[in-house]
Amino acid sequence: MADLAGETMNGGGGGGGEIKVGVGGKTRVGEEGGVGVGAKIRVGEEGRVGVGGKTRVVDLRSDTLTYPSLGMKTAMMEAILGDDVLGEDPTVNALQERVARLLGKESAAFLPSGTMCNLIAVLLHCDRRGGEVLVGDNCHIYRWEQGGIAQFGGVHSKSLKTHPDGTFSLTELRQAVRADNIHFPRPSLVCVENTHNMEGGKVLPLSWLDELSVTCRELGLPLHMDGARLLNASVSLGVSPERIVRDFDSVTICLSKGLGAPVGSVLVSSAAFIERAKRLRKGLGGGMRQSGVLAAAGLYALQHIYPRLSEDHKHVQIIAKAVNECVGGAVTCDPSGAHTNILMLTCDPARITPAQFCTRMEKVGEGEEAALGERVSCRLISINDTTVRLVTYKDISLDDVEALVKKLVYVIKGIA
Amino acid sequence: MVGRKKKDVVVTNMKDEYIGHSIEVTPFADSDIEGGSLSMGALEDGGPGGAVPAQMTVSVEEGIEGGAEMEVVEMKHSPEKKRRVRIYSQKFRKEWLHLKEFQGWLTEGITDDRAHCTVCDKELLAGKSELLKHSRGKKHRTRAAKSNPNPPPVQHGLSRVIDEDGMPHLLRIVDLRSDTVTQPSREMKKAMMEATLGDDVFSEDPTVKTLEDRVAQMLEKEAALFVPSGTMANLICVMTHCWGRGSEVIVGDQSHLHLWAQGGMAQIGSVHHRTIKNLPDGTFSLNEVRGLVRDEHDPQSPLTSLICVENPHHNAGGKAIPLNWMDELGALCSELGLPLHCDGARLINASVALGTSPARIVQACDSVSLCLNKGLGAPMGSLVIGTKEFIAKAKRLRKVLGGGLHQSGIVAAAGLWALDHVAPRLSWDHTHARALAQSVCEEHSSAVTVDLKDVHTNVVLLHCDNIRVNAKKLCQRLASVTDEESDELSEQIVVMALAISDTTVRLVTHCDIRKEDVRSATRKLKCLKYIKLDVHLPANSCSRVSVVSPLL
Repeated sequence: MADLAGETMNGGGGGGGEIKVGVGGKTRVGEEGGVGVGAKIRVGEEGRVGVGGKTRVVDLRSDTLTYPSLGMKTAMMEAILGDDVLGEDPTVNALQERVARLLGKESAAFLPSGTMCNLIAVLLHCDRRGGEVLVGDNCHIYRWEQGGIAQFGGVHSKSLKTHPDGTFSLTELRQAVRADNIHFPRPSLVCVENTHNMEGGKVLPLSWLDELSVTCRELGLPLHMDGARLLNASVSLGVSPERIVRDFDSVTICLSKGLGAPVGSVLVSSAAFIERAKRLRKGLGGGMRQSGVLAAAGLYALQHIYPRLSEDHKHVQIIAKAVNECVGGAVTCDPSGAHTNILMLTCDPARITPAQFCTRMEKVGEGEEAALGERVSCRLISINDTTVRLVTYKDISLDDVEALVKKLVYVIKGIA
Repeated sequence: MVGRKKKDVVVTNMKDEYIGHSIEVTPFADSDIEGGSLSMGALEDGGPGGAVPAQMTVSVEEGIEGGAEMEVVEMKHSPEKKRRVRIYSQKFRKEWLHLKEFQGWLTEGITDDRAHCTVCDKELLAGKSELLKHSRGKKHRTRAAKSNPNPPPVQHGLSRVIDEDGMPHLLRIVDLRSDTVTQPSREMKKAMMEATLGDDVFSEDPTVKTLEDRVAQMLEKEAALFVPSGTMANLICVMTHCWGRGSEVIVGDQSHLHLWAQGGMAQIGSVHHRTIKNLPDGTFSLNEVRGLVRDEHDPQSPLTSLICVENPHHNAGGKAIPLNWMDELGALCSELGLPLHCDGARLINASVALGTSPARIVQACDSVSLCLNKGLGAPMGSLVIGTKEFIAKAKRLRKVLGGGLHQSGIVAAAGLWALDHVAPRLSWDHTHARALAQSVCEEHSSAVTVDLKDVHTNVVLLHCDNIRVNAKKLCQRLASVTDEESDELSEQIVVMALAISDTTVRLVTHCDIRKEDVRSATRKLKCLKYIKLDVHLPANSCSRVSVVSPLL
C-alpha cells in the first residue's frame, strides 16, 4: 500500500493494519490522537470493533440505536437554524413540510419523541372530559408509554384484543363503542399501530385499514396511526405512505428509529390540529429552540436512509431463514411473519428461557471462536416468557448479519 | 513549496452521493464510535438516484505544504473480494480568496473542509474544482447577477435584505428579542460532530452522562438530567416534588413558572398553586410565605408541597436574587419542612452578576433547573438537578412526557462546549446590556426610561410612558429604518426587541451580539429623540424597511 505523509499502512487481506481514525476522517496519518477519538484500533476482518478489542458486537436490541452517519452529521452542522419556538427555524419548517407532503396531509410538527407525538395526538383528539380511546391491547400507546394519556390527559383506554397480524376485530370495535350512557366514558378516538412492534413488526393489511376507516366513519370516530415505523410498512407493501394513512386524521412517524436520525419524530395532521399540537408541545416542554440541527438529520434520513430500508428487511429474512432451518431447535421463528425489520424468536421455555438465550447470545463461549472463526457477541431483547426480539437497521451490515447467523445456528444447535 | 507528487489510485465502491463532487475530494465513509473504539459502517453500494461506477481512477495530490492534507484510511478488507475504499479530505485554502473566480462570494465554511458561497448561502466542499464548478453553475451566476453585478463582499455582521419595493438594503440586524435566539458557533458545531453517542433511553449516551455529571458537580448536587427544554425541566421538578395527589405549590406571581409555562403544572401535573407577590427585586416576603402554607388537617386545603424561586428573576429585569435572601428562604423552607426549587434558567448569569459560584447560590435548594439554550448558546436543552432519588423519578417523568431522546449526546455536546467556552464570557453580555441601558439613560427622555441600577445581568427593561409611546410602537420603531435615521447614522440598523407588556420593552443581550452590534444599537437608541412617537410614520416621508424576523 502506498506511503502517505510518511506512514505506511499495512493493509493486507485479513490481517488488519493499525490505523488512526477520528470522526470526519481528519486525523492526520502519522499524528498522535487526531481530531475526535483518534483511537488506535485493529481492523481485523470487516465490521465493527466493539469494546473488548476483537469481538464483533452485533447489537440488535432496537433500531433506536441507529448512529448518525458522517454525512448526516455534516448536514446537521450545515443546517440553517433559527428559534423554532418563534417559528423561525427554516430547517424545522422544511422538515415539517416535507413530511406532511410525504403523508399527504396539510401540516406537521417536529417533536422530541414518538411518545410525545402519541401523547399529544390522544390528548387533542380526546380533549373533552370523560373521553376514551380504543386501542389494541398490545400496542405501544397502551403498554409502553407509561399510561401518560391517563396521567396527563385523564383519558381512559379501552383495549381490544390484538391479533397476531397486528389487527383487531372490527366487530369487537363496534361492540366496544358503546351508546351514550352515564356509566360509560365517551369513545373519542381509535388508534392503530403500523408496523406493529410487539407483534413482530407486522404490516397492517391495507384492506383492513380501509375497512377500519369505513367503520370509524360510521361510528363518527377519528383515527390516529402510531406509525413509528410507517416507512418500513410502506417499503414492505410497496405502497406510498400517503396511501397507507389516507383515511387517518393524525399520524405519528419516527425519524430516530430505522431512519437513523439521532432524535425526533413528527406528528402529522390537518393545519388546525397541528396548530393545537404545537401549543400542547410547548406546554409539555417539547418546544425546542435551534432544533433545526436535529431536523436536518431527519431531512437527510428521508433522502438517504429511507430508500435503503428494504435492506434491513432482507437481513431479517436471512436470519429468519437460517433459524428456521435449524429443525427441532429450541428456538424457532416464522419467516413469513417477519414483514419488516423486526424478528421475533420463540423459545421453548422448557429447554431455554428467553433471558437465558439472550445471555448466551451475548457471551462468547468456550471453543466458540474456533468454531465460528471470530468472536461474536449478539445483543437481543427478551420480550416475555417465550419471545426474544431482534431488530435490524442501517448500522447492521450484511457481514454482521452473517456473523449473527453463524452464531445463532451454533447456539441453537448447542441447546439440548 | 514542496513538490507535488501525483499518483493514480483506483477507488472502488464510490458512494452514490459523492459522485457529483470533485474527484479530488471524496468524503468519508460512515464511521461509528463506541466507547473509545471505532467501528466502521459499511459503505452502501449503489444507492438512490443512479448507478454508482464500480471503480474510479482518482488523481491524488500529496505532500502539499500548508494546504491540502490528504489522508488515506484503509477501511475494510473483504477476504473474498479485496475491496478497498479510500477516503480523502481537503482543507479550505486561504489562497483561493484571491482568485478572480472566487471573489465576492467565497468564504470559509463551517468546518475546515468546507467553503461557503455567500450568494447562494450554501456550504460547499472545499475543493478547487468543486468551487469552480459551482461558480460556473447557472443558479449561482443568476443569483450573483441578481443581487448585484459587482457586489461588495458582505461585511461580517450585516444582512442583505430586500424591502417591499424590491430594493436591496444592507442592514445590521441586532436581535435582542431573547437570548434563546443564539446560534451554535462553528466551534460548538465541531464539538457536536465529534461527540461520542449512544442511546440515552438505554442510558448509553456517554456525552449526555458527561454533561449531567458535570452540571451536577458544578451545582454540588448529586445528579442531573438532560431534558429538551426549560419548560420541561420546571414541569418535571414540580411534578416530582408533588408526586402525590392534591398538592399545592407556592410560586411568585411574576415568575416564569406561573406566567409563561402555559399553566403546565395544573394542565399536565394536576398541581394547584398559590401565588405570592413578587417584589421589584425578584424576591418575596418570607412572612407572607408562612401565611400561605396550608394546614394539612384542613380538608378544604390542598397540601403545600413545594416553594419555587426564580434566580435571576426574568420579569423583574433579569435581577440576581440577593444571596442572603436565598439563604434565609432556604432556612425557612427547612423550618417548614418544605422542599425548595430554583428555576435557574439563567443561573450562570446570576452567578456572574453576584460574583459567586452557582453552587453557592442554590446551596439551600433541593432542585434546580438550568438552561443551556439561552445565554449559554446551545441550540437546545436544559437540565434538572437534584438528589439521585429525585433524578430517578424525574427520569421517569421525562420519559412519559415524551422527553426521552435517543442519541441526544449530539446536542449535549453543545452544552458541554457552552459551559467551557460561553459561560466564561457571560459578563460581556452584562456589560453590553449596561451599555444599552446607559445609552437610553443619557437621553434623559421622559417617554422611554430605564434604571441603570436595575440592570444586573443581560436583560434591559425599557419603560414607556404610554402617553407618547407604548411598548408595541417602540418595538416597531426600533425594527424600522427611516431615511433620516439612515442619513444621520450612515448605516441602517434594525433592533429587534420584545414588548412584554403594554409599557415595557425588553432587550436581552447574548453571545451572538458583538461589540459592533451594541455600538449600532446604542446609536439607534439615541435616535429616539428624533422619533415622532405618535401613531404611524407617514408613508411618503421615508422609505422604510421593516424586519419582522431575521432573514438568514
